[in-house]
Amino acid sequence: MMRNDPIKHVFIWPAVLVVLAISIFPLIYSLTTSFLSYRLIPPMPPRVVWLGNYIQLLQEPRFWNAILTTTLIAVTAVGLQYVIGFAVALALNARIPGERLFRVAFLLPMLLAPVAVALVARMMFNPTMGPLNQLLGHFGLVNLPFLTNGRWALACIIAVEVWQWTPFVILMLLAGLQTLPEDIYEAAELENASNWQQFWGITFPMMLPISAAVVFIRLIESYKIMDTVFVMTGGGPGVDTETLTLFAYQEGFKKFNLGYTSALSFLFLIAITIIGVTYLALLRPHLEKRR
Amino acid sequence: MAGVEIDNVSKAYGSYRIIEGLDLSVADEEFVVLVGPSGCGKTTTLRMIAGLETVTSGTIRIGQRDVTDLRPGLRNCAMVFQNYALYPHMSVAENIGYGMKVRGESRAHVEKAVKEVARVLDLEPYLDRRPKQLSGGQRQRVAIGRAIVRSPDVFLFDEPLSNLDAKLRIEMRTEIKALHRRLAKTIVYVTHDQVEAMTMADRVVVMNKGRIEQAADPISLYERPCNLFVAGFIGAPSMNFIEGEVVARDGGLVFTEASGTALMLPKCREAVYGGHLGKPVVLGVRPDHIARQGAAAGATASMIVKDVEPLGPHTLVIGSVGRFPFTAQMPVGVAAEPDQRFDVPLDLDKAHLFDKATGRVIAA
Repeated sequence: MMRNDPIKHVFIWPAVLVVLAISIFPLIYSLTTSFLSYRLIPPMPPRVVWLGNYIQLLQEPRFWNAILTTTLIAVTAVGLQYVIGFAVALALNARIPGERLFRVAFLLPMLLAPVAVALVARMMFNPTMGPLNQLLGHFGLVNLPFLTNGRWALACIIAVEVWQWTPFVILMLLAGLQTLPEDIYEAAELENASNWQQFWGITFPMMLPISAAVVFIRLIESYKIMDTVFVMTGGGPGVDTETLTLFAYQEGFKKFNLGYTSALSFLFLIAITIIGVTYLALLRPHLEKRR
Repeated sequence: MAGVEIDNVSKAYGSYRIIEGLDLSVADEEFVVLVGPSGCGKTTTLRMIAGLETVTSGTIRIGQRDVTDLRPGLRNCAMVFQNYALYPHMSVAENIGYGMKVRGESRAHVEKAVKEVARVLDLEPYLDRRPKQLSGGQRQRVAIGRAIVRSPDVFLFDEPLSNLDAKLRIEMRTEIKALHRRLAKTIVYVTHDQVEAMTMADRVVVMNKGRIEQAADPISLYERPCNLFVAGFIGAPSMNFIEGEVVARDGGLVFTEASGTALMLPKCREAVYGGHLGKPVVLGVRPDHIARQGAAAGATASMIVKDVEPLGPHTLVIGSVGRFPFTAQMPVGVAAEPDQRFDVPLDLDKAHLFDKATGRVIAA
């Protein structure tokens, strides 16, 4: 098929129409809703409030708390996932004995449903009946308030996120490591570069493009965290672990405040876009150097 | 003083032995080329000198220092790789200076050394570029620059020109030779290209199946190959081989071949060849061993021409003598036609006779 063959339109336009129907239309509908005061309970006729929902949200401390909590979970979890994931990928890339078994074992958590993982985690961290506190008790230590104290609950959610999603980071970084040419390491060996110098001088900079992509994907995904928090803490204690998505869920499906929730979704979208653009802008000079 | 001594070195991967009891001595400041077909063990030998491969048994010494169990970084060797092995994320200057940087030398010292190397290798305009912004020849010069900047005891080259086009290869050959004269360091150079080996080396080591077949200066290797392998490997086009036997006829010794070719062997070698009367032998004649002033009596081989290749300075007449392929390098304008018979006047004083059973040259 030639590049300028008109047949391409036959293939492109149906896809464009489908995307418009299932993506753009709901987005526009949702944007329109965000300018309305639109409640299902108690049922009230929609009323145009323009930016009223947005202003109300920005003045809402719970909204800012949700942003802070989500950012804390996302940044800490992704940071840990990246550091641990890189270390494990380097180990697996070193062709250690039993590497295949390790690889499968490390990748298993990623294949589990987050809800199932969160349920298991909730049982594990249960302050009174969980095996972790039983173990601590066995050694004569005091029970820890894993899910009943705000800070401990956040730490537990981060731990579960790290446990479940580090395998994804391992998978991507291992794929990247396996594409690095071997002879440049041999050249570095001949230059008497230590392992640490080889890592900082060669591996890390050469892995920067794929690292940037992995961290970006995980960061965006982490900002959308919902199921783990919903099952483990339900946003509690109080609103200490309430994330943006959970806040939106509470407003949309508990209070059926659709206009307010739509505005929240759009603020969420704006926040994610700002984070993404800032992240890419910060990395761009480093990535362009390696292009 | 930094020669290389390889003493009874063997290399095996599991039960598969790549190199068996290799002995080689490279003198200080000598340019030695290891040459041989793919899989002959030349690159493995080089990598064992560098420390990138462990030896299964034997000893390697660099400048009287036993380096057999030393890691590569402590051997003070610099290597130029076939695929350049440049750090793609670093500039040319960073690539050249990386080794000095990791050894903690001052930035001013590194910059000075890099500039000096860039000047020598004509890389000054490219110091800020990245490897992928350079041509193949420029990349190779950067790889050489990285090797020479820290003044190692031994330079190791692993088929460094094989990725370059023919013209650039000839230019780089000259540059590397000039560099050797300037630096006066020991060089061990691996190639599968015998022309490269012949044109660059002080001494060529021909390897085959993990063994050294012959090690000698290029001219000796060309004129006095010790066996059929070396005779066939060195020289382009390669030596013609005709199987037959030596018989006594008309008061002299004659080489005869089954299809009827009979060539009178030189009188001066009768004493040597006399011991092989009636035994199967192989006559080796290089394509350029042609009698320019016409053949002596009984020194003409009759070939059936398959093709005629005019190359400019001379013409190759390709065909067969009996059932053996034969190429003759003739003057321009030679009257040879495909599918016709053509008489080649041979200079048999330069020909070689090999024992067919052992493959070794029959010589005094």
